Amino acid sequence: MARETLERTGFRHVGRPVDRIDATGKVTGETPYGDDLRFPRLLHAKLVHAPVAHARIRRIDVSKALAVPGVEAVVTAADLPSHRINPDVRQQTLLARDEVLFYGQPVAAVLARDPYAAAHARDLVEVEYEELPAVVDPLEAMREDSPLARTSAIQEADRSEEQGHITIEAEQEQAQSRPSNVSSTITFKRGDIEAGFAEADAVVEGTWRSAMVHQSYIEPHVTIADYDANGELTIWSSTQAPFHVRHEVARTLGLPDARVRVVATEVGGGFGGKIYLYEALVGALAIHARRPVKLAMSRKEDMLAATPAPQAVVQLKAGMKADGTLVALQARVIYDSGAFPGAPVLPGCLLIGGSYKCPNLDIEGFEVLTNKVSVGALRAPGAPHVAFALESAMDMLAQRLELDPLEVRLKNAVEKGDPLPSGQPYPAIGLKECLEAIARTEIWQQRHQTRQRPNRGVGVAVGGWLGGLQPASATVGLNADGTVNVTVGAADITGTNTTFAQIAAEELNLPLSMVSVVTGDTKTAPYAGMTAGSKTTYTVGRAVKLAAEDARQQILAIASQRLEVPAEELEMEDGVVRAKGQPEKQVTFAELGRLTTGFGARYAPIVGRGAITARRQAPGFSAQVAEVEVDPDTGEVTVLRYAVAQDVGFAINPKSVEGQMQGGAAQGLGIALSEEMVYDERGRLLNPNLLDYRLPTTRDVPPIEAIIVEVPSEEGPYGARIVGEPSIVPGPAAVANAVADAVGARIFEVPITPERVLRALGKLQD
Amino acid sequence: MPKRLINLTVNGEAYEVAVEPWWSLLYTVREELGLTGSKEGCGTGDCGACSMLVDGRLVTSCIMLAVEADGCQVTTIEGLATDGNLHPVQQAFVEKGAVQCGYCIPGMVMAAYDLLRRNPNPTLEEVRLGLAGNLCRCTGYAKIYEAVLAAAERMRGD
Ligand code: FES
Ligand code: FES
Repeated sequence: MARETLERTGFRHVGRPVDRIDATGKVTGETPYGDDLRFPRLLHAKLVHAPVAHARIRRIDVSKALAVPGVEAVVTAADLPSHRINPDVRQQTLLARDEVLFYGQPVAAVLARDPYAAAHARDLVEVEYEELPAVVDPLEAMREDSPLARTSAIQEADRSEEQGHITIEAEQEQAQSRPSNVSSTITFKRGDIEAGFAEADAVVEGTWRSAMVHQSYIEPHVTIADYDANGELTIWSSTQAPFHVRHEVARTLGLPDARVRVVATEVGGGFGGKIYLYEALVGALAIHARRPVKLAMSRKEDMLAATPAPQAVVQLKAGMKADGTLVALQARVIYDSGAFPGAPVLPGCLLIGGSYKCPNLDIEGFEVLTNKVSVGALRAPGAPHVAFALESAMDMLAQRLELDPLEVRLKNAVEKGDPLPSGQPYPAIGLKECLEAIARTEIWQQRHQTRQRPNRGVGVAVGGWLGGLQPASATVGLNADGTVNVTVGAADITGTNTTFAQIAAEELNLPLSMVSVVTGDTKTAPYAGMTAGSKTTYTVGRAVKLAAEDARQQILAIASQRLEVPAEELEMEDGVVRAKGQPEKQVTFAELGRLTTGFGARYAPIVGRGAITARRQAPGFSAQVAEVEVDPDTGEVTVLRYAVAQDVGFAINPKSVEGQMQGGAAQGLGIALSEEMVYDERGRLLNPNLLDYRLPTTRDVPPIEAIIVEVPSEEGPYGARIVGEPSIVPGPAAVANAVADAVGARIFEVPITPERVLRALGKLQD
Repeated sequence: MPKRLINLTVNGEAYEVAVEPWWSLLYTVREELGLTGSKEGCGTGDCGACSMLVDGRLVTSCIMLAVEADGCQVTTIEGLATDGNLHPVQQAFVEKGAVQCGYCIPGMVMAAYDLLRRNPNPTLEEVRLGLAGNLCRCTGYAKIYEAVLAAAERMRGD
């Protein structure tokens, strides 16, 4: 493991690699996921997915489905309370009412006693559709003469998912007066773009396209709901965002938040794709049926009708002076939002103009509606698309000016104080340090030798993410035997509860084995924001640290009374509080536990409270390098070596931080080389399965070298900053740059399929 | 159509189960025997999350019918640890940080276990080839490779 910063001293737990506290349950198969929970009288739901991309629903006949043995109900929009249904927001639409807006949109739900019966009956629901013209391509959709993707204009867009990932102030303009498929636009300008290009010694431009990709967590969505006799709705969901789900479900179903309980079940992978989707629908079905209802999506259903990441088209023109100074960036960034608003235009526009210092900017972003499944967040939403364009252009400029591509990046890389396109200055960031780390890798050092070999090349790229901000809270309690419980409300996907155990153990100077961490449900846990936007350790970690400090003070106060020693003269270690220099004067955590919990106890229980609000971001950058081999006959690209350097501020658990970096980088390779949701001209998804939608396998991904870079953040616990998202960003550009380096042909569209390589090499014509 | 009675020996225990002819082995083991360690990630044989050993052969149990396994010896993830001690493959996954969300892990561990039975001393490339039927979306595989190589070393005792 490489470590790029100062020796860390004085810490006992944080900064050291530890095993995940939940790993044993996972390797033995004992850990229950949503689909593993058992409920008496459970009904299984299967959704009827529209087989057309855009249509009016004429008639629904459920009689044949209802006749299937085991079927208890078939529910359509007409059976659901209509007053709160909002056709502008995907999650509030529940079931399509009059108009189908995308291929796969749910139009009815079958409830049956076993899933096979539900699936069988689902196929017997007869729906009569009147097809409307489907808008599939975002550029076509933007034309004035394009048919509209929906017959009613958007009144209210929901951007909570995006805001959970990136929290920043900027004006996003709602659609214009004329009916159009463009649902929002953003503009950022700085300096004088024409003067910038006039000053440039080299100008490059191009149009870069990125395919629609799916988060492809291995566990498909699963949601269970039960509405009990007391009027309480409980939802078990593999969600990353239990408190968000609670509020949204309550709002949509007309219940108080206090009557909705969301239990976040173990999340079998989310990557932004499991924020909030069918919980309100399943809740409504449970209320309708008065029995527990489970919706476990099959892989196909999940690919048809979850919330994948958008297709994007980025037109970019960039100008640089002969000395490598970037002087002008002009971009038009178009995201295909699918059938509902919610595309990551804001982060895309901020990052395309916010990764390098550049005095002259002209950036326009468009969110375009089409009749495809509506998009959601996927790890650094919107960022890989723009990095693909920007980082390709940086290489093109470097090549034109005969400069070293890594040096050019170092020269222009943003630093603390540099403004984002919105004007907001960066806090401490480590983009330069990441580039320097990549410059030291063997892959980069040996690039000249690599190039000697035919069809081999090396490419570098960078990318970053700004991060989401939400308040967070936590409690730390002392048990009767002196052990400690930490309670949080954030779903643990990436090992955050292990990190919290390290933090609490550090602050209380305990062995890790004395600390246990639990994620409560929304009725029992202190509030936390969604596990998204890379913010969990950054925000909840701070709350845990504060809560542990608070518990520490309470412990010291009681110990001080017991030992008759001022609190400042006490120290604690391994569950013993003692007077400094007088080791015989001591009291153990176990004694304090009894004194604060026993019958007739003298003291109130020890409950440390930590609550914070986070207002300042801790952006993370990553630099990556790829060594590839291109087969000139087949067009196949093989990644031979790959390294990722990322500034994580401070790696509280380097083992899980490395895993995050490697996992994100591998997802970047998937976007780069194989992943694409393919739609036909009528808007039908052609590859809703894991055979035709190609995720990276062990054969595609070499062992990725992870280099942890640590430039401390201002506010994160011990200087930690966001970790989860940045690593996915540079991959597509790093691979495209390596391919260009290997064979001299530049590819402007990901995934870089063999066909596209052969076309770029002129070996395949239309 | 009436259900069919089949006999399965799962992790050494004999079961007689009444199954519908269309039930997969995965569904039967999960729903009828309550062994939910094996996961369904795709249901089409493409992800490996449902991997089990049937008469010593690694199968994707989501596309094997329960009736096809009549009379067979089945080993699932629940059968790997002995007397509460993790199998070396499981232990190595924990120690090397190869577990993130965990959903692929039961299948991944079964595939690794099977690979090491057939090839106790694999190279990195052999590990990559051997696990190619098991998708993991979280880890980028690097720590999984490390874990399998470490487990191999431990099992060989060198
Ligand atoms: S669930 Fe069987 S291979 Fe995916
Ligand atoms: S650990 Fe999540 S899919 Fe492998």
